[in-house]
Amino acid sequence: MKLTVFTLCCVILMGYAPQSLSRPVSYPGGWTIMQKNDKNAHSLHVHYSPTAKYSIGYRTEYWREEGWQFHGAQLNYLVKRHNAPASQANFYLKGGLGTAHGDLGVPDSKPQPAAFADIALDWETRRYFTSYENRVYYAEDIAKFFRQKARVGIAPYIGDYGDLHTWLMLQVDHITGERDNISFTPFVRFFKNEYLAEVGISDKGGILFNLIIRF
Amino acid sequence: MKTSIIAIAFMTLFFVFPSHAQHGEHEHNHEGQVVEPSAVSNDMENIACDDTINIKVSGLVCDFCARSLEKIFLKRGDVAGISVDLGKGSVIVATKPGSTIDDTTLTKLITDSGYNVSAIQRGCEHG
Repeated sequence: MKLTVFTLCCVILMGYAPQSLSRPVSYPGGWTIMQKNDKNAHSLHVHYSPTAKYSIGYRTEYWREEGWQFHGAQLNYLVKRHNAPASQANFYLKGGLGTAHGDLGVPDSKPQPAAFADIALDWETRRYFTSYENRVYYAEDIAKFFRQKARVGIAPYIGDYGDLHTWLMLQVDHITGERDNISFTPFVRFFKNEYLAEVGISDKGGILFNLIIRF
Repeated sequence: MKTSIIAIAFMTLFFVFPSHAQHGEHEHNHEGQVVEPSAVSNDMENIACDDTINIKVSGLVCDFCARSLEKIFLKRGDVAGISVDLGKGSVIVATKPGSTIDDTTLTKLITDSGYNVSAIQRGCEHG
C-alpha cells in the first residue's frame, strides 16, 4: 500500500514539476565525488566518465541502524538525454557489484556478495526541478530491500552563471524491509561553480547533508 | 551529533572556498563591442570580435552542469576563453588569434559536454 501511494505521488510530482544535479555521468575525462548522508545511511561515490554516456567508479555505503557496509564498483549509464531550449531531462540506469560486510566490529564476520540496480529520471528548468530514483539492494543474508526517492524543487531566484544558486527542495523517501517507512525531508540546495551542497532535516529527525564536487 | 558537526564543517568550507569566477560585468573587445554575457569564466579580455563564436545550445539550464563546457573547451590550445549565458542559452567561445574551430568539431565538443547545438554564429553578428 505504501509502495503504491509513494509511486503515485512520484508520478504526480514528475508530471507537475521539473532534474537531478547530482548527475551520475560527467563530461569525458571528468571526475566527480559524491558524499551523501541521511537518516539511514552514509555513502561515498567517486566516479570517472570516459565518455558523456557512462561513468564507472567506487562506491561505499554504511547503513547505520543495521550496521552493514557495502564496498564495490558502480556503473552509471545515460540511456537518454533530452535537451530542449529551456529544459533538460535524463534517464539513467545504474548498477553496483561488490561485497557487503555485516556485524561491524565482529572479527570473524565474512563479507558476502552484494549488488544493486537503479533507475533514475530527472527533469529541470532554471526554475523547477524534479527527479525520481529507485534502487533494489541484494546483500545475501545481510540486506534485501527496495528504496525509492522523489524530489521536487524550486529556485527562489534565477542566478546567472557563476552566481551562488539556491534551491528550496523536498525529498520523499520510501524504503521497504524491516524499517518500511516513508519520510519527508525539506532541504536547501546550494551550488556555486563545481561545488554543490544540500542540507536538510527529515520529519523523522534525520539530518540530510550531501556534498558533490566535480573536477 | 557527529553528522551535524560534519555538515557544519562542510558548509563552512563550501562558503569560504574562494571562487575563481568573475561575473556581473560585461566584457568589451578592442573594437568597443560588448562580448557580453552574464559571466566571464576565463580570459575573454582583448578578444577580437572576429575570434568569437556564438553557439546556441539546447538544455543549458543548470550552472553546475554547464561547468563541463569550460572543462571541455579550455583543454584545447586554440581556445582563449569561454563564457556561458544561461539566460540566452548560449555559449561564446573565443579562439586564439589565427585559430579556428570548424562547426563539426564545435558540435562534437558541445555534445560531449552534454548538450545539443541549435545554431552557430561567427564573428560580430551575434546578438
